[in-house]
Amino acid sequence: MISHHLLTLLVFLPSLGALLILAVRKSDALARLVALGFAVAELVLSGYFFTLDTVHTLYPAPAGFFQYENVHWIDFFGIRYTLGMDGISLLMVALTAFITVIGVGVSWQGIKERVPLHFALLLLMESGILGVFLALDLFLFYLFWEVMLIPMFFLIGIWGHGRRIYSAVKFFLYTFLGSLLMLVAIITIFLMHGAQSGTYSFALVDLIGTKVPYDVGLWLFAAFLLAFAIKFPLFPLHTWLPDAHTDAPTAGSVILASLLLKTGAYGLVRFGYPLFPDAARAFTPLIYAAAVFGISYGAWIAFAQKDMKRLVAYSSVSHMGFVALGIAAWSPIALSGAILQMVNHGVTTGALFALVGMLDERTHSREIDTYGGVWGKVPALSFFFLLFCMASAGLPGLNNFVGEFLVLIGTFKVAPLPAGFAFLGMVLTLVYTVRLVQEILFGKERKPLVMHDLSLREGGILAVLAVGAVYLGVSPSPLLELVKGPVALLVGVK
Amino acid sequence: MKLYLAIMLLLPLAGGLTSALAGRLLPRRLLEFLICATVWGGFVCAALAAASYTAPLTVNLAPWITAFDLGAPLSLYLDPLSLSLAVMVTFVCGLIHIYSVFYMAEEGDYPRFFALLNLFVFAMLTLLLAENLPLLYLGWEGVGFCSYLLIGFWYQDKANADAGRKAFITTRIGDTALVIGIAWLFQLFGTFSMVQLNGMAFLIPGGVVTAIGVLFLIGAMGKSAQVPLQVWLPDAMAGPTPVSAMIHAATMVTAGVYLLARMFPFFGGSAVVTSAIAVTGGITAFYGASCAVAQRDLKRVLAFSTISQIGYMMLGVGAGAITAATFHLLVHAFFKALLFLGAGCVITAMHHEQDIFKMGGLRRSLPVTFWCFLAGSACLAGIPLTGGFFSKDSIIGALWLKGVPLYQALYVLALITALLTSFYSFRLVYLVFGGETNAHIHGSRELKVMELVLVPLALLGLCGGVLDLPGYLGGGFLGHFFANLAGGKAAEAPQATEIVLQAIAGALALAGLAAAHVAFSGKARAKRIAEADNPSALTSFLFHAWHFDDLYRLLFIRPYAALSGFLWQRMDEGVIDDSLDRLAQGVGATGTWFGRWTAGRISLYIVSFAAGGAAILGYLAWVTLS
Repeated sequence: MISHHLLTLLVFLPSLGALLILAVRKSDALARLVALGFAVAELVLSGYFFTLDTVHTLYPAPAGFFQYENVHWIDFFGIRYTLGMDGISLLMVALTAFITVIGVGVSWQGIKERVPLHFALLLLMESGILGVFLALDLFLFYLFWEVMLIPMFFLIGIWGHGRRIYSAVKFFLYTFLGSLLMLVAIITIFLMHGAQSGTYSFALVDLIGTKVPYDVGLWLFAAFLLAFAIKFPLFPLHTWLPDAHTDAPTAGSVILASLLLKTGAYGLVRFGYPLFPDAARAFTPLIYAAAVFGISYGAWIAFAQKDMKRLVAYSSVSHMGFVALGIAAWSPIALSGAILQMVNHGVTTGALFALVGMLDERTHSREIDTYGGVWGKVPALSFFFLLFCMASAGLPGLNNFVGEFLVLIGTFKVAPLPAGFAFLGMVLTLVYTVRLVQEILFGKERKPLVMHDLSLREGGILAVLAVGAVYLGVSPSPLLELVKGPVALLVGVK
Repeated sequence: MKLYLAIMLLLPLAGGLTSALAGRLLPRRLLEFLICATVWGGFVCAALAAASYTAPLTVNLAPWITAFDLGAPLSLYLDPLSLSLAVMVTFVCGLIHIYSVFYMAEEGDYPRFFALLNLFVFAMLTLLLAENLPLLYLGWEGVGFCSYLLIGFWYQDKANADAGRKAFITTRIGDTALVIGIAWLFQLFGTFSMVQLNGMAFLIPGGVVTAIGVLFLIGAMGKSAQVPLQVWLPDAMAGPTPVSAMIHAATMVTAGVYLLARMFPFFGGSAVVTSAIAVTGGITAFYGASCAVAQRDLKRVLAFSTISQIGYMMLGVGAGAITAATFHLLVHAFFKALLFLGAGCVITAMHHEQDIFKMGGLRRSLPVTFWCFLAGSACLAGIPLTGGFFSKDSIIGALWLKGVPLYQALYVLALITALLTSFYSFRLVYLVFGGETNAHIHGSRELKVMELVLVPLALLGLCGGVLDLPGYLGGGFLGHFFANLAGGKAAEAPQATEIVLQAIAGALALAGLAAAHVAFSGKARAKRIAEADNPSALTSFLFHAWHFDDLYRLLFIRPYAALSGFLWQRMDEGVIDDSLDRLAQGVGATGTWFGRWTAGRISLYIVSFAAGGAAILGYLAWVTLS
């Protein structure tokens, strides 16, 4: 019985943990342990899906999906509870489960107030994000899409630093406005499909068949694109990101960068392009432009930053430009690269935010100017710092290189001009990365900072992330094989 | 064979990882033994591979990146070119590893140093043995990364870290051109295999071949420090001297030459590309030599000589003389490693003094170093019958034999450069070892061992000529070994021509020696030292390396930083974000005007959201029912 509802279990197991934590919210230590327990259980469960190689589903699943649940929910509006997993979702699910464990780990000691609530929100957010990656009914997708915002809003607003209320409201309003327009577009296509076929349905597989007049399609796709581009974030819709990142607590930054940004890219791949292929083609030059400009723009601005967290935040704008570029190219290689790059960016940038958080916990400063000569003080931390910076700069043998390389090669094949400009990003990325490394790790100490090296917990977190970065860099083929089928279906090649 | 190659790569990798992750846990002596043993183990594998080598072969180790029709496996390719370089690299690096153990005897942070040295060897071998371009690029970036950290090894001094950064970024500019070239090749042919690509150039228009060739040339310019991307190499001397010897003289900087030689069959048919390579090489050779004449820092003289000598190798590739270029590459590796290691002995003995105008008389206190350094200088200068003479001359001869005006002009330039080279080589010898000094010499047991390492290199440099003797002396080994390689078969010159060409080059080298003798021996030496603090305008121009650094600071570095700040504060926060904030404020004000609804209380927002959702659902219900 349960084997037919594994996806439901997967989505709601973290929520269960959150409820449990809130129920026994007396003890901080217990809350941490329960959160860790559920996060790890979730990771194990997501790992189990890698072993399911054959289609194993009670319900007839669309092509490519090897796990599928499809039950009645609100028949009156044709809303169904549809969850499905293909290779792409599986990768995203695994990333989510992995990063949530990291998120629990990095906030183990840094969070001192309202500890149970913090961990409960982390788990709730995990449920929301997993729902986004698995929902195949547009209404259900929208529901999860909004649900995952709320915990993040509170994470920034309650445990953040600096102008946290401003940043939290900005984050919320920005993304919320975008998604409202998407809701309008969802309802419109729902009605159009209903009028054409006589059956009203929010199911993606049904709606894909809708005949959308070209100019209407443009508007609808634009609404989807807006929602997703804000999440991505694509230039010039990115300005919420530096504020949100800078003011969020460490776990918030990690999850924001590693997971929430990926939902935008995922939405574009899963819903935007398949629903409105013609409109997507029309918008492609615009996406190319935003992506390519964002790559250089983000990298260039990152170079000027004084706050480490802001620097990493702007680097995300730049890196996610590669993902957008790969999606816009919509070719097998580029799209595979973009999807892989989502995972890579999640691991690398998550690790960098974790490291910045660890430095901040020691010195209570994120100003780059206050550091210097850190290598001599905390060699182990510095080792990881350098490793992830190099991964971020695209050093071959580490993870980011593979994704960026595939995106660039794949895009160059179909659109040499945008790809040509994107190559510039390789230099600009290195410029701000080595500046960061140099000012933090090298040189002489600028302010007398007392630091201790990594604790066992911190070392463990970083080591796990480092293994991920190296594994993805050295042996990406199994993951690429995993997404090959779904990507082939999406772009329509054998 | 597969086993040899795999072990050759894995040993230094394992050594590097061990040192990086567990270096502190092992006894120092054991670690030192380990990191030397891995490289010498690699040398044994390379030698065994050479012994059992029969024909070019490809070895597949494992998949790496596979997506649809894109395949970049971990596969290696062994042919005379990669084999001869692999033997040289493992041998020279092996010697330098031994030297490093003693040179760094007082360094506390040795695990980091040894880890990077070993990882460098791994990356360099990957670069050499790679069968496809992405794997080559892995080695290419890997050596760049190790070089970056080793230049800035003594990171507490800002200048060192800056030099490392400069090297990394400058070479990355070239690397980007290389990757564009790789992407273009894949778009055209759907493969990364260099062996396959080399046979396919005829399938595409000549203009495209030229464009791709130029991209590869730019890539090579970065790594091999050719004008205009040469600026990083002199500063790279900030690293410990064994690093300079191994990375910034003998091995890594020749990667660009290797790449062009490896891909030569692809773009060798394009006259534009070969001329561009030759012109780049010619200009760089002259540039490096002219700068070397005016330097005061021992290591900077050698750095500029490296730039210049790699220029010669480029000239060789541009002239289509791959054998000659490789010949010079191998011999240069021996004598340049020798010169740098000799410089390391001098610097150690002089308590880290590097100004050659403050040295002198070292021929008495460091006789072994003196004789070895002299041998190295003779090779560099191309004094007849040394290895450097034969190798450099085969390049210069190849230029003449092209018989085209452009190449004849380059031939003349190469001869002038040869004269300069001989002059600055012996200027160095006279200043460092000539004259007398009262300076106290820091002798130690370590220094004795370091000097011993020089001896085999000196012998190899002096006798390196036997690798490929000219036809009138019975021909050479490399010529036969490379015969089947594209561009490997050198143009055959009549023996009389060959003898005349070599006589001219030899005479010029001796003339340079004579000039240096006149200018820097005996009393003249003291006079030059007295003059050194008031350099002429020309000397100052050459000392500052033609002011390339100042030019780039003005043209690129300052505008970059300024624009970066402008984009951030004026554009991103000033325009984009500010307009949104104003919009939000406007909306908020309107909201307040409508009522006290949007008072900023989140609970209200959520209630509103729910209400809005309900309204939409209600509308939908109405639509559906009606």
